[in-house]
Amino acid sequence: MPDRAKISQENSRWISCPECGAACRDQPLPPKAVLRCTRCGVVVKKASGARALQRAWAFSSTGLLLVVLANINPVLTFDVVGNTQSNLIVTGVFGLFDQGYWPIAALVFFAGIAGPALHLASVWYVASACCLGGRWPGRRRVAKIAEVMESWNLVPVYAVATVVAVVKLDMLGTVAWQPGALWVVALSLCSLLTMQFFDRDLVETRLEELA
Amino acid sequence: MTNMANTDRAARGRLQMAQALVVAGLILYVPANILPVMTMTVVGDVEPLTVMGGVQELYDSGLWPIAGIVFLASIVVPFCKLACLSWLLLMHGSPRWQRQRGALRRIVHTVGSWSMVDVFLLSILAAVGQLGVLASVQAEPGGLFFAAVLVCTLFASESYNSRLIWQTKDPLSA
Repeated sequence: MPDRAKISQENSRWISCPECGAACRDQPLPPKAVLRCTRCGVVVKKASGARALQRAWAFSSTGLLLVVLANINPVLTFDVVGNTQSNLIVTGVFGLFDQGYWPIAALVFFAGIAGPALHLASVWYVASACCLGGRWPGRRRVAKIAEVMESWNLVPVYAVATVVAVVKLDMLGTVAWQPGALWVVALSLCSLLTMQFFDRDLVETRLEELA
Repeated sequence: MTNMANTDRAARGRLQMAQALVVAGLILYVPANILPVMTMTVVGDVEPLTVMGGVQELYDSGLWPIAGIVFLASIVVPFCKLACLSWLLLMHGSPRWQRQRGALRRIVHTVGSWSMVDVFLLSILAAVGQLGVLASVQAEPGGLFFAAVLVCTLFASESYNSRLIWQTKDPLSA
């Protein structure tokens, strides 16, 4: 009997590498140190500060607010001899849809509007649950969604595309930046910081404590 | 034992999915680069633009840093991505360079989404549509193929996850 207890204790000190699945021996880490997988060399666990999740919570809350602001304010206005048009992110989606290219329109909608919103919302939900210590329903599933949606939060890419678009439109007519562009930039910074602080390992540990 | 067989079947499914997507991506890559992505009409001057044509235009107007970004994101990245994924899939099951292959897959996955620059750009420009009689921007079928290549490669690198790189025939090392 004591043997079995010893074995289970031994087992609990192994963690599976998220990258290659190899078993790695868990150990307490000094601050700023990382534990690397012995087989593939990927960081298995890092001693991120205890406040990392709080930061992810803060940045995702801000991000959610910015998603709204970036989508209701025009990003730029375009003018050709008196014909003025103000462009929101969603204007591009409608433009493509009207011209019959609905698959591209759907892709832009998903990666430029729905993806970022869903990513930030799911991070917000999980981070809130972790920080407030609530046993919120479906938190594990939402944590999975947050992980998958991270690669679909393409607002930073959209911000770069806007710069290129302004250059191109400048050849056609007069183009001017609008406040929406500022929100788009702020949103991309917030998204990047959220990704930085939303530590998968920390979330997992916290969710296990809650369960 | 049945559990082993199940995970094995799931892994094979993922591998086949990735192979199919990469082959589809390679085929679609050709029309994506030959067909025009959009037609811009400026004061009666109609010009159909391919992806490369758009880069050329930016370069000609002296904006080479922006031309460089677009060239990297929409021509070099999709091609490198397809090439890297093909190599990874060809190397499947081999015990060589597994660390490097894992690192390469991570890079492909991170850098890959930057090709979306071109799709977003198309959406912003297409919003102009027909503005007055002087300017119009019309999306063309090339954009459809370009977006399809992108989606294929994104899902391929999602499907061929790194656990498959470390899967070899030798059960002891698995």
